[in-house]
This record gives sequence, structure tokens and C-alpha cells, in this order.
Amino acid sequence: MPEATDKPRDHLPSAFDEAPTEQIETVTGVELMQGIGVQESRGFWAEAWAYVLTRKTALFGLTWIGIVAFFAAFSPYLANGHPLIFRSTTQAGESVTTYPLFAFLNAGDITIGVFAAFAIALILAPIGVRRSTRLRVLIFMGAQAGVTIAAGLYMLAEFKDRNAPDWMRRLESGEHFILLLAIGVSLIAFAIFAAMPYARARWRLLAAGAVACVTVPAMFFGLENPPETFGYREQVAAGTAEATYTLIPWSPNQRRTDLDLLNPGESYYLPQVRSLVIESDSAELDSESIESYIARLGELGIPPGEVEPLQSRLRRDLKNETPITAADFREELDDAVGPDFALGTDSLGQSVLSQMLYACRLSISIGIVSTGIAVVIGVTIGALMGYFGGWVDMVLFRVVEIFMAVPLLFLLIVAAAVLPRNTYVMMVIIGCFTWVGAARFIRAEFFKLRNMDFVQSARSVGLPLRSILFKHMLPNGITAVLVDASFAVAVAILFEAILSYLGLGPVDQASWGRLLSEATNQVGAFVPHLAIYPGAAIFLTVLSLTLIGESLRDAIDPRRKKARV
Amino acid sequence: MISYIVRRLLLMIPTLLGITFLVFMLVALSPGGIGASLSASGGQMDATSRAMQQAYLEDRYGLDSPPVIQYLRWLGRVSPIKFGKRDLVDPNGELISYPKKLDPPPLWDWIAGELPEARDAPPVEWPEPGEVVPEDDETPAEAVQRVKSRTHRRGTSDYIRERGRYVARQNEYETALVAYAQERGIKAAVTRDGKLNEGGLEGKEPDKASPVWERVQAAGERTMAAYQEALNARAESVAVFEARPFRQAGFPIIPGVLSVAMPDLGKSFSRSRPVSDLIAEALPITLLLNVIAFPIIYLIAIPSGMLAATRQGSWFDVISGTFFVALWAVPVVWAGVLAIGFLASDEYLGLFPVTGLHSQGAPDMTFLPARAGDGDWRAGYILDTAYHLFLPVLCLVYGGFAVLSKQTRAAMLENFNQDYVRTAKAKGVAHRDIVFRHVFRNSLLPLITMFATIFPAMLAGSVIVEKIFSIPGMGSLIIEAIGLRDREVILANVLMIGAVNIVALLLADILYALADPRIAFD
Repeated sequence: MPEATDKPRDHLPSAFDEAPTEQIETVTGVELMQGIGVQESRGFWAEAWAYVLTRKTALFGLTWIGIVAFFAAFSPYLANGHPLIFRSTTQAGESVTTYPLFAFLNAGDITIGVFAAFAIALILAPIGVRRSTRLRVLIFMGAQAGVTIAAGLYMLAEFKDRNAPDWMRRLESGEHFILLLAIGVSLIAFAIFAAMPYARARWRLLAAGAVACVTVPAMFFGLENPPETFGYREQVAAGTAEATYTLIPWSPNQRRTDLDLLNPGESYYLPQVRSLVIESDSAELDSESIESYIARLGELGIPPGEVEPLQSRLRRDLKNETPITAADFREELDDAVGPDFALGTDSLGQSVLSQMLYACRLSISIGIVSTGIAVVIGVTIGALMGYFGGWVDMVLFRVVEIFMAVPLLFLLIVAAAVLPRNTYVMMVIIGCFTWVGAARFIRAEFFKLRNMDFVQSARSVGLPLRSILFKHMLPNGITAVLVDASFAVAVAILFEAILSYLGLGPVDQASWGRLLSEATNQVGAFVPHLAIYPGAAIFLTVLSLTLIGESLRDAIDPRRKKARV
Repeated sequence: MISYIVRRLLLMIPTLLGITFLVFMLVALSPGGIGASLSASGGQMDATSRAMQQAYLEDRYGLDSPPVIQYLRWLGRVSPIKFGKRDLVDPNGELISYPKKLDPPPLWDWIAGELPEARDAPPVEWPEPGEVVPEDDETPAEAVQRVKSRTHRRGTSDYIRERGRYVARQNEYETALVAYAQERGIKAAVTRDGKLNEGGLEGKEPDKASPVWERVQAAGERTMAAYQEALNARAESVAVFEARPFRQAGFPIIPGVLSVAMPDLGKSFSRSRPVSDLIAEALPITLLLNVIAFPIIYLIAIPSGMLAATRQGSWFDVISGTFFVALWAVPVVWAGVLAIGFLASDEYLGLFPVTGLHSQGAPDMTFLPARAGDGDWRAGYILDTAYHLFLPVLCLVYGGFAVLSKQTRAAMLENFNQDYVRTAKAKGVAHRDIVFRHVFRNSLLPLITMFATIFPAMLAGSVIVEKIFSIPGMGSLIIEAIGLRDREVILANVLMIGAVNIVALLLADILYALADPRIAFD
């Protein structure tokens, strides 16, 4: 398929005439004409990508980012306190099967899950469309899905607002309100994205239509969920129900008041088991009282299927040990109740592993969206400054200087402290405060480009400014900005972690920074597992993005180019 | 060169205005606005006193005017060029400005035929030095000053009290007017959040048949009475001010209209202390941290960058590069938490103090290590401070190595490929001399500009480090101030840091020009 925006690249000689993996020494011109050592020409980005894949550090980074992205997309399906299948018996004796996990998925979860699965399939599919085209279509589809869901949530909040005008209230109390809202918002987003010239019209309609087909049902089923309650374990313990969970049977916001901080590998039932033995540590327990304690394990609410093996194991282990001190018996009990929380819990009794998985989504989405915002703002302002120069440059550069004058973290702390604490606001403030680098870079590039012949001729034939700036000049100047976006994502993730650490992050959201802040927050106590895992996750993510960025930077470095002939 | 520096310094002004305005508007946007923490601190109070206090606070800090006006007022105080009457400086160094103007209540013409005039206050005359009986061991001049201060204090507090009363009455009157407007169905007179919009009622005749009218009239008359009282109190306060109980601040340029005075950063809401004092306490601590950290970064990063460049591709090059990048990626919050947890906490190694800048009793220590009376060595003030600063400085420096050493390496490599190096090699200059005298000197240039990029990053980094280690520097100050929406402290901090930063950028540019004769600024 023809590629309008790729054309300027195709006319230029490929940046690298040598694929780095190949061991061809020198080739003479004659040999080249004979067809020896001739390589298939590839696009600029394909060439750069091939180089990146040869670097071990970059491969490590890509692997880690892949893992984080996978969890970001599928965490609700991997870690959820709602069972996948829940069979309960009603009082009338009927058996009812429900699927709570799917009932409680919200619109974002559904859309992200479907979209991620589709994206993986599309990128790997062996179809005849260039990968860069597929990637571009995917980026726009993702943007459309994100905008649709965010707009849907915003509209819902507006309709539910206390001060909403009467016509909004009438609509809101109407019968099919959610369905109408879902269709309306999706249609508007469809119209906007189908009109954007990012691919052929047929493809655009198809892609935007596919997204709308996902967002309408996703918003219909997931925009307004009942408040979450996790009463399943009580029912299972009472023997009236049976639950099948996914991999990690805990939601990040699931907490029990009787349960506080647990170390990695400790069990959910540990507090009950601990409170079971009331004797002082040095008291001797004979086999009779131990047997009574073992019998009482069954009354603690542990499901019958789990408690019976536990009891028999304890009986077997303690047969020859009696009499035993109460302290030793407690230890035996601690060991016996199996691990439930691989990474322990935080001070509210919420699973750390589950929170870490959900936090992947927060980090990745804030990193990507805020960098996107920053690049768009920065490129626009930088292009205007560089193209016009003079007083436009003078005035706009003062704006740039404002953001350079104070450390960004200061501004971010002020903004995050005073504005509403949610994910969207955080994306916007990080994006709006970090565009300066891109703007300065594009400005410098455009200063060089604006006197070049192709720009002069574009101007002389009377092309509109938009076309000169973004169609002719930008493709020649944006490479480095796109490569540096990798570092920008890393910095945005770092900012999010720091703000969350300071308690200024999105509320009610699992976040690595917030987990980390709990490691030392209690009076003088230090909780190693809350310090090590979330911190390591931030570190590895930032490191991976940096390594990828460095490899990409090397890949587009013209000094790497060597003559083969 | 001089004209370049002057131009840059002049361009600083719009930048600083922009940044403070941006921050001010952000703070003003916050729910509850700027005074949120002030009014929240009232505790248990009956409604009238709360209204009085609210009115007083809003009036005292000008919170009732729109944000842009508040910003301009702040600007007026900070700017060294002042308009209007010069302020007075009381013996404690606090600035006292001309008593504030008093606006008449809204729609006063509904209640009274004409605005009341202030009662004439007789001009204040001060006693001669001999006329006051000195207390304790005062000199006659001090005794007179005491009388002056007391008169001024009395006049001011009278006016503040009357003003507060008037504002509280005015609020009641406005509530009554809102009720009236709602009863009459005049929607334009009530804003969305239920406040009075004066314009909606202006020019209309009051409808005295309304059932709410009596309430409006009663509240209005009380307000007018309070207005009269406040006017009188103000006239007396003005008379005291005109008699100049204290010396005047600054220098006059056009007397009574234009003067030049020291910028006034205002007084913190939350701590009731001048902001300049708070900054004077906090800034040296932050600067100390940075002044210790900077040489460490340069001393480690530059030699390793040089070594990596001279042995390009060697194991040292690879390992130092990877290691520094890995260090750069360690988030400072993580490093701080781990350092506190494993190195400082008593549960683990317990090698270092967890928080603070000094041990208890540090003011009594000798400055240098010394042998005490019982023959034991005591660490002394300076070693104690170093001991406390070890972990914070560690957290501050480790991230800076990567950028600087990478830059050194790149600059050195670039210069190694230059013709003059080949020439030097060809004529037999020792390798050592090539590296240090030729290549390194020419590679210094980018390192100078690096200063400009590292400095803001270090300032930001020290915010987090100070927060983690509870060090009372600028970072702790600003984070606390933001939490309390303390307008003056936030703005003053932003102004200070902005100014320091821009000057650092300018300094880097000037150094660049000094170091490289090829660069000229016009």
C-alpha cells in the first residue's frame, strides 16, 4: 500500500548500508554490480530496529518492558479477588453458577484486554502489510480506544454531577442511559478518528469501526459497576459455595480489617491461627490439648478442603513431639498454614503482588500518554519557533524558559498537590510540564531546515503552512525526538513514582511509588518486602527504557555508518 | 559581552514573572483556594466568631479579591520599586503598610441615602523625650519609642477589630440579599455556588413588599453602622500612620508616589514568621548538601570518563558505562528507603543516623574533634554533621555520574579523532601529554555546560532526599508549604529557586564564552 509519509525517507539513501550482524568485509564496486553482497533495502526504522535487536542490553530491556506491558494489559485476568467461577447453593437448595470476575470488569479492563490481544495478533500475523503500517494503525486504534473510554467516564461524571442541568438529569434517569452514552461517545470518537488522515480510507474506517465495536459493549457492561464486595471466602468457609480463582486470588484493593502486614509467603489465615493458642510461650502443652487445638482449626473459617490435610499433617508431625511448649507449637502452626501471599501484604492487608501487577498499568499508561502529550505540544511549539524565528521565537522561548527555570519536580509537586488526584490529571500535568526538551530540539532542527531548498520550493508553490511544517519539514527533523521519547517515558514513570511516594499520586490506585512509601512510613519500623519489590520494579523499568533508548540512539547515529565499497 | 549579560538579566524578569504567575494560579485553582488551611485551623468555634475570624483572615491576606489581583499585590510587595506611600519599619524589622482602603457594602443605596463620612481624627502628636517617664533602665528616646509603638498597636488592632466586625456584618447582609434575590426570582444576582452577584441587583429599586425585605433592611442597617465604626477606626489608624511612629522603609524617588525599597517576601500563613527568615534558615542547608555533592560527582565521573575514553572498548569502559547507567536508573526514593532501612535502621546494620542533620546536643559540641575531660575523644560538631550527611549525600550523588562521565568520554573520543592529535602523535608527544594537555583541555567545554543541566536536577533531587531524611532544607520547606497552601512561602521559594537557576544557566553560558575564544555573544 502507498505510504505518503514515508516518501521523503525513501528518496534518501538508507542510513546504513550494512546490517550489523553480517560479517561481510569489503565489497568492490564490480562485485556489487555482479550481485555479490547486495542486501535488500529496508526502511529507515526497520534498519534501526534490526540494529537494536542485536544489542544484548536492549534485548534485556525489551524483555522486561514486554513483561510489564503484558501485566499492564492482563492484570485483571491474572490477579482478581472475584472468582472466575462461583457455584453457590441458595437456601432453597438450588445450585447457582455465576462468573463474578467478568461481572466486575470495568470498561477500561475489557477494552485494554481485547485491544492487547488484538495488537499482539496483528503484529505477529504473517500478512502482506508492512509492519510500520500495522504499528501506525495500532497506535491510532489505541488512542481512539483510550479517548473513548476517558470521554465516557468524564461524561458519566458530568451527568452524575450535583449541579448538572435538568436536561442532563432527565437523560441520566432515562431507561437506556448507559447504552445511549456508550453509543454516543463511541460514535463521536469513531467520526473523529475515521477522519484523521493516518492511513487509507478503507483501513481507517475498518480500524475505527473495530474499536467502536469494542468500546460500545465495553462501556455498556463496564462503565457503571456495582460497588465491589468480596464475600466469597466467607461463603466458601461456610461450605455453601465453591470458588475457582485465577492465578492470584486477590484484588489490589481487597482488604480485611483483621489482617495487617504479612511477610512474603505467609498465609491469609495466619492471624486466626495465631490467635488460636492462648497459653503463654513457656507453657507446656500435652497431647490432649494439642489435639483439641488441632480440632479447633476446623472452626476458623478455613475451607474444609484445605483444613483437613493441614490437620492430618499436624497430627503426624507432632505425634512424637509432645509435650511441646506453646511457643514451639505456634511455630509449627505458622509453618503449617501454607503460603498465600507470595510477596506478602501491605499495612492494610492488601496483596503486594496483586498491587504490583496492577501498578504496571498505571506506570506504563502514564509514561506513554504523558510522553505523547509532551511530544505533541513540544513539536508544535518548537516547529513554530524554529520556522518563524523573530518575535514568535522570542515570546515562545520565554515560555520554554519558564519551564527550565524551576526544577520540573517542583512544578509537578505543586500541581499534583493542588489538582484532583486521578490518573488522567497526572498524565496531563506530566505531559504539560515535560514538553520543553522536544520543543528546543525541534526548534534547532527547524532553524537549519527552513533555509533548505525543499522548504523554499514548498513555500514558493504556495503550500499551506500546516503542510510545510508537518508534512515536509517534520519528517526530516523528528527522528531524534522519537528516539528520545524512550527516555521521556522513563522519566515520566520516575516522576509518577516519586509523586506517588510523596502521597500525591492518583488515589485508590495501586502504584509502585505508594507501596514503596509504606516501607518506612510506620513509626520507626522498616518493612523490607515493601521496599525491595516495588523499588526494583521501578528501577528495572526505568533501566530497561534507558537501555532501549541508548540502543535506538546509537542505531540512528549517522557516525555509525561505514562505507562498504 | 556586557550587553549580552544585561540583556539576559533583563529577560530574566518576564521569566520569573511567568513562573511565579503559573505557580500562583495553580495554587489558587486548588479546592478551597489559598486560605483553605487557614480557615480549617479554627477548631471549635461558634458561628459568629468563625465568621469574624474568616473575615479577618480573608481581609488580612487579601484572600477575598480575585487571584489576579492577589498576584499583582504580591508582585507589588516583591518588586523593589514601590508605588504609593512608603511603608514603615517597626523595631522588629516588620513592614507596616498604609491602612487598607474600606469599600462600602454592596447596594448601600438601598439602605442609606448617602455614604457616611469618617469622623475627623485629630492629628497625632508624639511627646518630647523628656515628657515620658522612662520604665526600668530605658533612655528617654526609648521611652518615647515605646509610647509610639503602643499607640500604633492600639490604633491598628482597633481598626482590625472594627474591620472584621464590618466584614462579618457585610456577609450577613449579602446572605440576606441572596435570600431576597431568590425570593424575587432574580437568577442573575446569585452565582452558581450561592454567593451574591451584585451586578444582578444594581440599578433596581428594592421591592419593599417582599417578605424577606425586613431581614435585608435590618442586616443592611447593622452593616452601615459597622461601616461607620470601621471608617472612624480607619481615620484614627491613618492619623497614627501619618505621624510616623517608626522610620520609613526605602528611599523616595517621587515622595508619596514612587520609592525604592528592599523586596518584601511576606509572612508565612502557617508559621507566622517572615518568609525571608525561613528561607535564610533553609537555603544554607540545601546549598551545603549540593556543595558537598558537586565536587564528588565531578571527581568521580570525569576521571572515569577519561579512563573509559583512553581505553575505549576495554572492560573498564564497558563496566563503568553500564554501572553508571544502572545507578542513574535507581530511583532516589528507592535508594533513600533502602539506605534508611538497611544501613540506618536498628533492625539491620544501624550504622548511620536515620533522620536529621545533627545529633542531640550538637550545639554544645566543640567544633573539631577533641579530647574531653575523661580522656575520651569526642566527635565534635563537624564530624557529627558529616556523619549525618553521609547517607543524604550518597543518595544525591550516585545518579549524577552517568551523564557526566558519558559526556566526558564522548568529548574525549571526538577530540582523539581530530587532526591536531594526529599531528601531536606524529611529532612524538608523550601519550600522557596528549591526553591531559591537548585532548582533556579541549574536552572541558561540554562539561561546563553540563553544570547548567545538572544543577536544576540536583536541586530537585535534594527535595526528595531532604524529605526522606527529614533534613530541614528548602525541599522540606516547600513540600510542607504546598501541603498547607502557604501562598507566600510557595511563591518566595519558586522565586528564589527560579532566580538561582537562571543565574546558574547564565553563568554556564558566560563560562562557555570565557573558555572558548571561538564563541562570541552579540
